[in-house]
Amino acid sequence: MRLLLVEDDIELGPRLSERLRGADFAVELAAGFSEAEDWPDLDSMSAIILDLGLPDGDGLQLLRHWRNARIETPILILTARGSWQDKVEGLNAGADDFVVKPVRFEELLARLNALFRRQEGARSSVIERGNLRLDTLARTAGLGAKPLSLSRQEFRLLHLFMRRAGQVLSQTDILDDLYELDSERAPNTVEVLVGRLRRKIGRDRIVTLRGMGYRFEK
Amino acid sequence: MSRLPVPGSLRLRFLLAITVWVALGVSAIWFSAVGIFSAHIEQSYHEELEVHVRELAHLTSFDDDGSITLTRPLSDPRYEVPLSGFYWQITAKDHEPLRSRSMTRGSLDPKVAQSPQILHTLDSGPTGPAITYGFTEPAPDGAEVHYVIATDQSELDRLIDGFTRDLTIWLAGLGSLLLATGLAIIGFGLHPLDRLAKATARLRRGEAAELEGKYPAEIAPLVNDLNAYIHQNADMVARARVQAGNLAHSLRTPLAIITDEAERLAEEPNCSHAATVLLEQSKAMEQQIGYQLARARSSSGKPYAARTVRLPEVAVPILRAMERLHPDKSFSLVSANCDQATLPVDAVDYSELLSILLDNAGKWARSKVELTFVCGSDGVVTARISDDGPGMTSAEIEDAFLLGSRFDTTKPGAGLGLAIARDIADAMGAELEILNGELGLVATVTCRLDSEIRKD
Repeated sequence: MRLLLVEDDIELGPRLSERLRGADFAVELAAGFSEAEDWPDLDSMSAIILDLGLPDGDGLQLLRHWRNARIETPILILTARGSWQDKVEGLNAGADDFVVKPVRFEELLARLNALFRRQEGARSSVIERGNLRLDTLARTAGLGAKPLSLSRQEFRLLHLFMRRAGQVLSQTDILDDLYELDSERAPNTVEVLVGRLRRKIGRDRIVTLRGMGYRFEK
Repeated sequence: MSRLPVPGSLRLRFLLAITVWVALGVSAIWFSAVGIFSAHIEQSYHEELEVHVRELAHLTSFDDDGSITLTRPLSDPRYEVPLSGFYWQITAKDHEPLRSRSMTRGSLDPKVAQSPQILHTLDSGPTGPAITYGFTEPAPDGAEVHYVIATDQSELDRLIDGFTRDLTIWLAGLGSLLLATGLAIIGFGLHPLDRLAKATARLRRGEAAELEGKYPAEIAPLVNDLNAYIHQNADMVARARVQAGNLAHSLRTPLAIITDEAERLAEEPNCSHAATVLLEQSKAMEQQIGYQLARARSSSGKPYAARTVRLPEVAVPILRAMERLHPDKSFSLVSANCDQATLPVDAVDYSELLSILLDNAGKWARSKVELTFVCGSDGVVTARISDDGPGMTSAEIEDAFLLGSRFDTTKPGAGLGLAIARDIADAMGAELEILNGELGLVATVTCRLDSEIRKD
């Protein structure tokens, strides 16, 4: 899952990015208003973490700009502004959640997961498709009663497939979700990952559609 | 402000001064006028009687038979009316005394006329004390003739009393008119102070940011100074709030880095204790920053800053935000007699207070939260936030307002909300109460409007 982190602090931004990557997110870091304003693929992001106090513009203005541009990606405000006036303004401007710095990383993760679940219309952190079961909070997966041992990328790919079960996902869709923009993307990365996942969950769960991509069977 | 003078008021001072001045003035006029009139009327009487006694002597004739007669009656007809109070008498040795027709009884003392010079005295007459004039003149036969003329003292007293009564009535009227004029002048003169009192009340209610209106030259400098002070104070408070906010914001980001570093340390096998200490201290700092920042936002006092909250509109954006923050809960708004009502409290403080309580209710509610505004005719405005959550025990309610108090650490929060809410409520003079309701917890914020500042 890809996140856009908009944070201007040169210490906190990279630290938070690193921690989020450690939690299996692909993280893009924008260090200011102007960099974030015209980010090219906001719709493909799973969520945006937005700091309000940016040096070159107001984060709330950026939020309104995105919502006016019909960007529906969930947005979590992470800011040092802690008043309810700011919170109400931020939430009414289109934010989905509001977290005041400093925040324990596990709480930030829980709030992000709650956003994802809300986005998917799910109340629980567990996604079930047939006999496949995936817990986004505990970061565990199982096939029937048997636990699955998945690498970080395999878990993220399975999460993507299960979230968008029945939909056709192109190689680009998958790469966008798994990797950051500036990371190296080998052409056969997706094929290798899908192959490894098929061996663990069953070949027939993921169908290859020639020239189009892959589809996870519900 | 009441129009009746109250003890210690300028209005009463002016009224007393005017009353004393009018009383002194009217009394002086009364005494002077009565004295002058009495002297004048007495002098007129005396002159008139002197003329009458001379006329009497002039009209007197002595017949050969020794009788005394008048060639004609005196010009004043009152000497002809019986017991009219106007009398004359002529006596001479060896002559029968001659008396006026008015003197049907008694007589006048001939000794009053003692010399050729006209003398007067107060003597007893036929109908009481009388002012008596007399002089002597020799008759043709050489005998001494006593001419005496008298007028009742009561006649003079009646004239003076009548004048005094009329004067008293007239002066009483004049005094009342002067007092009424004085009152009108006081009202007119003090009207700018009444306007100043109303402007101050508007300021206290938060309907104005300064003392509004034009004032006379004597008051205008004071009003200008007060307005300058109000603006200076507001600017100072605003600057202090911004600085407090900036300080808090500048601390929070480094604190976030320290927290992150501590969390990383916690993953190292030998550093867990240090990490725990760092995390605990970071948490304590975060609490203090949050708490003190909230206090700085709300504790400015703002007695003279513009502040009003319109009900129930103030809650609409908050409820909309709550629906985004707690999307699986429903938030509803009920207003009882509060449509278009205005509450004289700071909008930011009141919104902060409602937000804290609604967010708290949203965290604990099973499915719904209800905000009800009730505006009583007695000036009591209540905001009631109820949820259908599990409620709290009495002990938990007692501890709920303590700083850092949390009842479920699995739910996000710093345990600051209710402590801040209590501080905000205290600062705005509202009562905040938490109790168990029929379905869950109920928080009420009660504002009692100050009757002094509700009146225009």
